[in-house]
Amino acid sequence: MLKQEINDLLTQTGPGKPMGALFRQYWLPVLLAEELPENDCAPVRVKLLGELMIAFRDTEGRYGLIDEFCAHRGVSLWFGRNEESGLRCPYHGWKYDVSGQCVEIPSEPDERGSSLCAKIKLTSYPLVKLGDVLWTYMGDPAKTPDLPEWEFARVPAGQSFTSKRLQECNWLQALEGGIDSSHVSWLHSDGLRNDPLFKGAQGNKYNMSDRKPFFEVVESDGGLFIGVRRNAEEGHYYWRVTPWVMPSFTMIPPRGDHPIHGHFWIPIDDENCWVFTYDYHPTRPLTDSEVQAMREGKGVHNQFVPGTYRPLQNKDNDYMMDREAQKRGDTYSGVKGISMQDASLQESMGPIVDRTKERLVSTDTGIIMARRKLWRAVEALRDQGVTPPGVDTVHQAVRSAAIVLPKEQPFIEGCGDALTVRPGEKHASV
Amino acid sequence: MDRQPTLLGSCARAATAAEARFRINAPAFTQRCSRVIALDEQAAEVVGDLAGRTWHGGHFLVFESEVPGDALLRLAAGGGQPTATALLSEELDGADTVVMVAGPAASPAAASLIGDAAAARGIMTAGLVLPGAAPVDGAVAALRPNAMVLVVLGNSADLLEVLSALRV
Repeated sequence: MLKQEINDLLTQTGPGKPMGALFRQYWLPVLLAEELPENDCAPVRVKLLGELMIAFRDTEGRYGLIDEFCAHRGVSLWFGRNEESGLRCPYHGWKYDVSGQCVEIPSEPDERGSSLCAKIKLTSYPLVKLGDVLWTYMGDPAKTPDLPEWEFARVPAGQSFTSKRLQECNWLQALEGGIDSSHVSWLHSDGLRNDPLFKGAQGNKYNMSDRKPFFEVVESDGGLFIGVRRNAEEGHYYWRVTPWVMPSFTMIPPRGDHPIHGHFWIPIDDENCWVFTYDYHPTRPLTDSEVQAMREGKGVHNQFVPGTYRPLQNKDNDYMMDREAQKRGDTYSGVKGISMQDASLQESMGPIVDRTKERLVSTDTGIIMARRKLWRAVEALRDQGVTPPGVDTVHQAVRSAAIVLPKEQPFIEGCGDALTVRPGEKHASV
Repeated sequence: MDRQPTLLGSCARAATAAEARFRINAPAFTQRCSRVIALDEQAAEVVGDLAGRTWHGGHFLVFESEVPGDALLRLAAGGGQPTATALLSEELDGADTVVMVAGPAASPAAASLIGDAAAARGIMTAGLVLPGAAPVDGAVAALRPNAMVLVVLGNSADLLEVLSALRV
């Protein structure tokens, strides 16, 4: 349970809101690189943290993220002409470069050198390609942090795959699904048997044979480690350890030699978010069949309405609920696919879930701790200007792990450096 | 299988944002019966301080000693108020959640006694380890086999928040 004012504090991310200020401390994934595939390609509308913007890639390959609307008469620059190193409004020809600087006003007597032109600059944010993703930083330019060091974005091309999907609810209830390990044994029980990106791992047997796991939550510098333990061979536990790094990065523990995957939940506005879903392998290229499976929506990815990033299963078609499959036990909820099993239920909570009415139990303690850390960080930033956890790139050098340990060994001690990025070394997985 | 057609009025989209936010404003549950039990003196001090606040019917207790077939608890009370004792078995009668709070001196025997008694009654258990200067490895080890959820708190103030969120 949260008081209404704390729920508001944590869920509202627009300009001027404390949680919005917190998100503006980080480099955030904003687009897939495939959305701006070549120089002078079509611009893309972007809504992030409640701000409306246009992303484009100019003639020299520079990326820009600027205010969506022309300074002249407020026309959307989505209709613009991306040409000759700038984005030109089609209404009267005003042109902007990737920094938002107006560089031409054709109607003025001296169109390039007019003093008026030099005085017009749209709000802009940096847009940087790292891995398959374009990242932006929307905070104070004087405090721009180092570029992100998330391993999935730093491994060589071919070792990583990222997709994104629209989720029609507030970012926090979506994130909380990534921290709530207790739902996996129920909602996703079908995935371990059938999914090509999960099946075959030794760890799956432990998952299936012990459906009442125990949980441990340990604070880390960047957020939390959530350890889930199940019985393994005599005298041993099978541990699955999920890192959460503030504000909204989680990594799912791996299975066998399958790639590791996880999510970033990024607020579009207070009632919608983007879910960036990555899969990568630290030491080898993804195979053709793995990439094919990811493109087909297997694992934690999903299928889309053609030409969009909206899931094919969505609230307009009741997520293609299959009651017969639910009855047969093919799927637990009747909804197909791990990501949509999660999204369907999280969206069903309403645009922003009312946490004053919830009835948490002890297995929700990871969620309680994550809220508490966010709340503390929001207040420390607002009241004392303290940089929040997760901005420091050291905090980003985390991995999930799946490991068998003697019963008496704490998972933090037993995992050792398995929870840290070790370039060129394989992840800890069974 | 032929899918049933999804009609406009039957899909999840068939609601305005305001309708989607609406919930029947009536409580969907009765009061929880939680027991918060301190396992050592450091925990007793913290739990005693919290006991004076307004809660949702939770009992705040301190483990005293093992007695044959049971355990003796005392009611935690801050501010030097008089204390009373109770048997663990009496306190667990009707309880639905047990939260064990441990400092560095938490006894594995106490955790085991409470954890086993709760498990025998099908009561959910959680273990919260207080932060402090002293190492908490012993407290973690004491609680690990006996708490379905174990949290090493990074900040003492988090104990209040966790218990509030659980509606103790």
